[in-house]
Amino acid sequence: MDTLRIAFAGKGGVGKTALSAAFIRLLSERFPDKKILAVDADPAVGLSTALGMEPPLTLDEVRVKIAESIDQGETADAVSLLSEARFHLEDCIAEKGPISFFAIGRPESAGCYCKVNAYLKQVLEAISGNYDFVVIDGEAGIEQINRRVMETVDRLVLVSDLSRKGLDVVRTIRSVAERLVACKEAGLILNRAFSDFDPAGADLPPVLAVIGDDPNQARLDAMGESVFNLPADSALLAGAGQALDAILAKAGA
Amino acid sequence: MNLFDDCLKRLWELLPGEADKRASYLPELAAPEGDKNAILFRDETAFELGGGGKPAACGFLFGDLPPGPDETLLYGRDLSEIESDSPYAHFTVVSLKPEAEETLYAETLKEIAFKGFQTYPAGFHLRVSPSAGREQARVAKAALAQTPPLSFLNVGAGLIRLLKTHPAVERATTVYVTRPDLDHAAFAALARKAKQIANALESAYGMNELDCAACRMKPVCDEIEGLRELHAKRAHG
Repeated sequence: MDTLRIAFAGKGGVGKTALSAAFIRLLSERFPDKKILAVDADPAVGLSTALGMEPPLTLDEVRVKIAESIDQGETADAVSLLSEARFHLEDCIAEKGPISFFAIGRPESAGCYCKVNAYLKQVLEAISGNYDFVVIDGEAGIEQINRRVMETVDRLVLVSDLSRKGLDVVRTIRSVAERLVACKEAGLILNRAFSDFDPAGADLPPVLAVIGDDPNQARLDAMGESVFNLPADSALLAGAGQALDAILAKAGA
Repeated sequence: MNLFDDCLKRLWELLPGEADKRASYLPELAAPEGDKNAILFRDETAFELGGGGKPAACGFLFGDLPPGPDETLLYGRDLSEIESDSPYAHFTVVSLKPEAEETLYAETLKEIAFKGFQTYPAGFHLRVSPSAGREQARVAKAALAQTPPLSFLNVGAGLIRLLKTHPAVERATTVYVTRPDLDHAAFAALARKAKQIANALESAYGMNELDCAACRMKPVCDEIEGLRELHAKRAHG
């Protein structure tokens, strides 16, 4: 099976991280023999708590480390940089069973890391081929799409509540993604929504699931617990399962 | 080529006489190459050489080797005898063909040293940090379960096979160390020294743009500048 890359995007605070984590839990339960790479691309680094996995280093910390070694006069040729990127990238990966996890982190230093970024992206692209599924919890808004961080996404999952602002962000991201990201298909999960909401005529991507308020998820959030502690019959997992079914069916997985 | 002579002398001083294992290079001894982009996951890994913050020095030295065949030397336990993350050191010594010595350029040495980053033995997941002079390797449970189990002698033969594809390489010896009682801090210092010489060569041959007045490698560069001029004179008659 080819790697299936799924990325989540949408306005801040609509439940992208909880849904990303729910997808990862469901994939690990349904396909215990498959390898899953979870990527926290949100500088808020919430997926770590949601999965209960702590990456030893973030990608931004690695970026700074490599850039500093270049500043100190080390060689910066392509072969060395690729080797360096690969060496450190593996230090960023936390592993638990079939799940590998790493976080992009917060850019804490000013300066241009374009060259380092290019090599890290190249290595990331190469190692993602080791996994059956890649699930990316994206940054709020459209910045990452614009910077083409997610240029090899197979399925873009847009998440929104029913707020006008949330749905506007969904439309904007879809339009940007269509132009800039090599994304096969976009779908929408409406979270914390009432079930009789009719998206017809709202110019939205195909709706994958509509999820109502989930008190179990709210409790989990408040306690800072991982998605693996969420009861199997919770609304969040049921909705995520429905959306995942639709995506897997289209992908032929 | 005597730039690395002190490093070579130091390497042989740090090693305790006879190796625990040694094997002359035979192409058929080489471990098969794996997928260069493959990751060895923790649950598939028996142990990691240099893992858990343990020493993991690696260095590339150029100079004269005692007469004999290309070979792999092992000081310490072989892969099938190791049970957990282990201290590790790996040095490769390459002697160059006389005609390559005559027209030596830093680029040639670099090309040869890069071969060390470009070997991917199946079941021996290698990663190298050139800036830190570290080489770590995860060893696959599956590679140790096979008959015969993967050995350093197979990994070393694979590296020598790759090195010998470079036209300037005359002979190669690759040295693996897993004995925890040897001076791994000294191996790390030796790796740093070898890297400094390589960096200085690149600088002297104009492969890096550096401000010499501000460069911490200036003393080493000055030392080799005379040698570079000597080579240039030889090359151009």
